[in-house]
Amino acid sequence: MKRACLILVAALAVSPAAAHVSLETKQATVGASYKAVFTVPHGCAGSPTVKIRVQIPEGVIAVKPMPKAGWNVDVVEGKYAVEYDYHGNKLSSGVKEVAWSGGKLPDKHYDEFVMHTVLTDKLKPNTILYFPVVQECETGVSRWIEIPTEGAGHSHEGKSEGKSPAPGVKLLPKS
Amino acid sequence: MRFFAALATLLFAAGFAGAAWAHAALISVEPPSGSMLAAAPKAVELRFSEAVTPGAIRLIDGAGRARDDVRISASGETISVAIPVDLPEGTAVVSYRVISQDGHPIAGSVIFSIGMPTATKLPAAVDGGVNALIWLARVGLYLGLFVGVGGVFFARWIAWSMIGMAVPRMAIAIGIPGAAASLGALGLDLLGLPLTALTTAAPWKVALGASAGPALLVAIAAMLLALMALRSAWYARALAIVALVGVGLSLAMTGHAATAPPEVLMRPAIFLHGLGVAIWIGALAPLVALVSRSTTAPLPIVNRFSRIAALAVGVLAVTGLALAIVQLEKPGALVETRYGMILASKLVLVTGLLALAALNRFRLTPALARDGTGTPALMRSILAECAIALAILAVVAGWRFTPPPRTIVPDTPLAIHIHSDKAMFQVLVSPGKPGINDVVLQLMNGEGSPLAARETTLTLSLPERGIEPMERKASLGPDGHWHVRKVELPFAGRWHARIDVLVSDFEQITLEDELDVTSR
Repeated sequence: MKRACLILVAALAVSPAAAHVSLETKQATVGASYKAVFTVPHGCAGSPTVKIRVQIPEGVIAVKPMPKAGWNVDVVEGKYAVEYDYHGNKLSSGVKEVAWSGGKLPDKHYDEFVMHTVLTDKLKPNTILYFPVVQECETGVSRWIEIPTEGAGHSHEGKSEGKSPAPGVKLLPKS
Repeated sequence: MRFFAALATLLFAAGFAGAAWAHAALISVEPPSGSMLAAAPKAVELRFSEAVTPGAIRLIDGAGRARDDVRISASGETISVAIPVDLPEGTAVVSYRVISQDGHPIAGSVIFSIGMPTATKLPAAVDGGVNALIWLARVGLYLGLFVGVGGVFFARWIAWSMIGMAVPRMAIAIGIPGAAASLGALGLDLLGLPLTALTTAAPWKVALGASAGPALLVAIAAMLLALMALRSAWYARALAIVALVGVGLSLAMTGHAATAPPEVLMRPAIFLHGLGVAIWIGALAPLVALVSRSTTAPLPIVNRFSRIAALAVGVLAVTGLALAIVQLEKPGALVETRYGMILASKLVLVTGLLALAALNRFRLTPALARDGTGTPALMRSILAECAIALAILAVVAGWRFTPPPRTIVPDTPLAIHIHSDKAMFQVLVSPGKPGINDVVLQLMNGEGSPLAARETTLTLSLPERGIEPMERKASLGPDGHWHVRKVELPFAGRWHARIDVLVSDFEQITLEDELDVTSR
């Protein structure tokens, strides 16, 4: 317990001033459920947020968004790339995208959008799992969809830091 | 006489039957120079602004070997170089030398890498000796045409006297080998061969096939006719005038001035310009001889020449102005381009020549007529005219090496190719120098087929100069590529280019690379 606390403290310490849409819980274990809390600290360049769309990455199943007062919640279902075993059932399709809309979150306010998920053990531990988010506002769109590529193509020196990174969670091996 | 008329008509028809000719320039290359390819392309396609004839096209493969199993096919403005299938990995160079319709060679090279780049060397540059030969031969040719043929014409039609024919005779003796050497040197230049290759047939054959070949043959014919006109015969005067027409024709048949649009005006302008030069310059040497021989006898000749020369100078001025306007396009080119600088030096020399001519016409000739004095002064003045004329011919021969501003196309853009497993981006920055640039982004997926994008953003930074990322949205052009126009790159240096491509709502592809911007 003490160790977990330490990790939490460390994680909080390194997280930058939350200027991006991000996940509140930065670490999760594969083969377990994960409550994904998307924190939305601001609108799009001052404009109020009217819609949040989250893409569910492959390997994440049993997605159930938490209803939110003043917002409609919709899901888009689709086929998974592979079948997943979930409590003895074979799942070949499920939620691929979750969208909250119809509400209005002013730039000066903060809010959270929550969903329950299960991280299957097909996911690779010690990597970062990204949930791309599109934040739509009254004017403008912010796409939190940048996923760093590892060793892609040539070795480009001085790879610049993404300015709109996708929210990510560090996957830990099953204990 | 009828024979000569027929010959003249034939020469005329040959000279003017050409299609719309101009100095060709390379427009595009497929695959683009600097490409990184997964496998050898089937062919390299070179597209030029005008129809071209292939001269020497060579392929040096990634192992540094010159390949002789390259097949070249040309159709109109496109030249296709079929690449052998067994091309090894590494950087290959296709060097090309094609003949544009004005008879001048256009050379360059295309580089592409298969798998990984290697340090393949470009083929050696052109032999400097060939350029010297081209220039010398051309000066010789001009001497033969203007001093030689022009001198004979003066003797037969203006002076009615064969006094002072030694210089024209000598000029023709220089001019005929000069024309022949021009032909050989042109062949060497077209094929990119060294001087030693003059003993082989290839350069001569190629030169005769280019538009300059027939023009040089007409020049040789004109000089031979002038030589025959030196002999006293009843048809000598006819020969002299046909030879003079040949001078104009030979000049109007080739070269970047004659092939400039509108050709209907430019070719006659060159023709008349050539006639004017031959009449004026050709008269100088015989005049010196006439004036030195006796004081009073040449007076009617000098008077007659003065009147004709005034007409010739008028024609030269009008045609010269028209040609300069077409070739330069804007006055600034007079000092900004090498072509313009040659023209500027020529104009300075011509001004000197005109001053001397005016002195002769309005001061020295009347003095001669009045009291028979001033012969030595007139002679000195004409000798100075000769020297300036020679200098003009030497300067003008340098035009062979400088494309006129009209034909100069913007430099080939700076190109970089970035690829990852997901995508390949071709980035073209033109002109690729510090200042305002236009950027074209060609997007392809990992398989090389076009990538449909919703949005494309280009971000440029120059960390070494502390220039923070400048973000510019690209717009999709009708050509299917993304364009960012008027991007200011304030400094040369190693720019960092980052391209963000939004493929779908949630998917973005970002590729980055360095862009070396040099002042060149």
